[in-house]
Amino acid sequence: MDILARIPQLLVYGIISGSILSLGGIGVSLTYSILGFANFAHGDIMALGAYITLGLFTLLGGWGLPNTPFAPLSFGLSFILAAILSMGLTGGCMILLDRVLFKHLRRAGSIILMMASIGIALGLRNILQFFWGPQPHYYIEGIQIATRIPALGIRIKPDQVFIICTAILLVVLLHVFLQHTKIGKAMRATADNMDLSRVTGINTDRVILWTGVIGAALATAAGVLAGIENKFITPELGWQMLLSIFASVVLGGLGNIYGAIVGGMVIGISEEISTAFVSTGYKPAIAFIIMVVMLLIKPAGLLGKGK
Amino acid sequence: MPLLGVEQVTSGYGEMEVLHGVSIEVNSGEIVSIIGPNGAGKSTLMKTIFGLLCPDAGTISFRGNDITGLNPDRVVRQGMAYVPQVENVFPSLTAHENLEMGAFIRQDDFRERIGEIYELFPLLKKRKKQRVGKMSGGERQMVAMGRALMLDPQLLLLDEPSAALAPNLAEMIFDRIITINKTGVAILIVEQNAKQSLRLADQGYVLAGGRRRFADTGKNLLANEEVGRLYLGG
Repeated sequence: MDILARIPQLLVYGIISGSILSLGGIGVSLTYSILGFANFAHGDIMALGAYITLGLFTLLGGWGLPNTPFAPLSFGLSFILAAILSMGLTGGCMILLDRVLFKHLRRAGSIILMMASIGIALGLRNILQFFWGPQPHYYIEGIQIATRIPALGIRIKPDQVFIICTAILLVVLLHVFLQHTKIGKAMRATADNMDLSRVTGINTDRVILWTGVIGAALATAAGVLAGIENKFITPELGWQMLLSIFASVVLGGLGNIYGAIVGGMVIGISEEISTAFVSTGYKPAIAFIIMVVMLLIKPAGLLGKGK
Repeated sequence: MPLLGVEQVTSGYGEMEVLHGVSIEVNSGEIVSIIGPNGAGKSTLMKTIFGLLCPDAGTISFRGNDITGLNPDRVVRQGMAYVPQVENVFPSLTAHENLEMGAFIRQDDFRERIGEIYELFPLLKKRKKQRVGKMSGGERQMVAMGRALMLDPQLLLLDEPSAALAPNLAEMIFDRIITINKTGVAILIVEQNAKQSLRLADQGYVLAGGRRRFADTGKNLLANEEVGRLYLGG
């Protein structure tokens, strides 16, 4: 097929993968903006959220809650409920991790925090593997037929529309939270200047907890949406995406939440479009080339403050 | 009993001791000015009072309570507010949001207080939706002072409020400090602009080399020949 004719379809795939990368990137960016370190455990938090969802889904099914698919989607009430509960539970796990580990290391500085996060990344992945095994677990059985939209020259599945809409909804909710709630504003203030926040009376420990919970909840959403797109999940799910997520966050401007969203979209779309020209095996390399070029041209990132 | 009592405070950064047993007092409703050369320990004293640094020795009391070594987020709840010399605003927030953050620990309706701050700095009302990062030095200083005043503090600590401002803006800031003081807020101010700050001070201290060299009324310090020669540029 003609390369140009494939571009619209690849754009659709890019937006889908960009939606997932953006949701993952927001958490990395939030953590960086407030605590100043790159959280390597974020990918595995995504996987944790995806597996907690799987666990709850099985549990709810066992209690007899119906999962009759909401046509034309290929999943139903109990799956969506499991995912929402899992966002909260994974947020709870993040609080636990913070209390047990990160809180005590904060004084030690960002390098130590980053190293600790690599440890947590490995730990989480192995815990998931211990309980569920390394083999894929299927979220969705069967095949969904893609709908053809000839006017645009694309085919898209209802589940994929769901992924894009969910990502948009969550980003809008996050925006409202950050701009219009007291704790959201306090999060932006703390990201600006932690010392001044303390002087102002903002309880920065609580702000840090909120940051962790929101990051983990959005990571769960990203993990679950990746599971819907792939139909299955593995313990490696988040780790495999982490490099692209880091590339998106750096591209958008480290610590800038809106930058992470834009960066995720750019990386997602670029990776997919690149498959028209080079082998799909080069996708992660594309993310990195874009990131390196960005660092050379404007190190602060697309939406970063030019410091 | 003074509003703020600092007694024999020794403090500094890690191993480096900057203040060697400094004592000062601020009474209710007073303006107290601390002057002295660069590196005298003026900012260190402010940070120590507000709990950003923990003193190695000495005590700090506020409204009769011992606040030595209390964290800043606790000190602010006692009715003391602090405007640092640099990085004293949240640049990515709007002017209005900066004021809202100033009221973070207030549970009541603080809209009236925001109105009062806008009366004090009418320029801020016009720019309330603008991000503070894009504002000029003078406007930022107004935001910083407004933010600190949101809690109706009994004592306001100002660290070099006129630093890096054009003379007419510095004049305006000093003018506002007097207005703020007239509403009953005691003010402890550290200044490079020594003459001007002593002129409006009830009480003044000269700090040099981490020790208190002189303590007198603002007027007397201005008239003191030795202070004039050594610290006010003749």
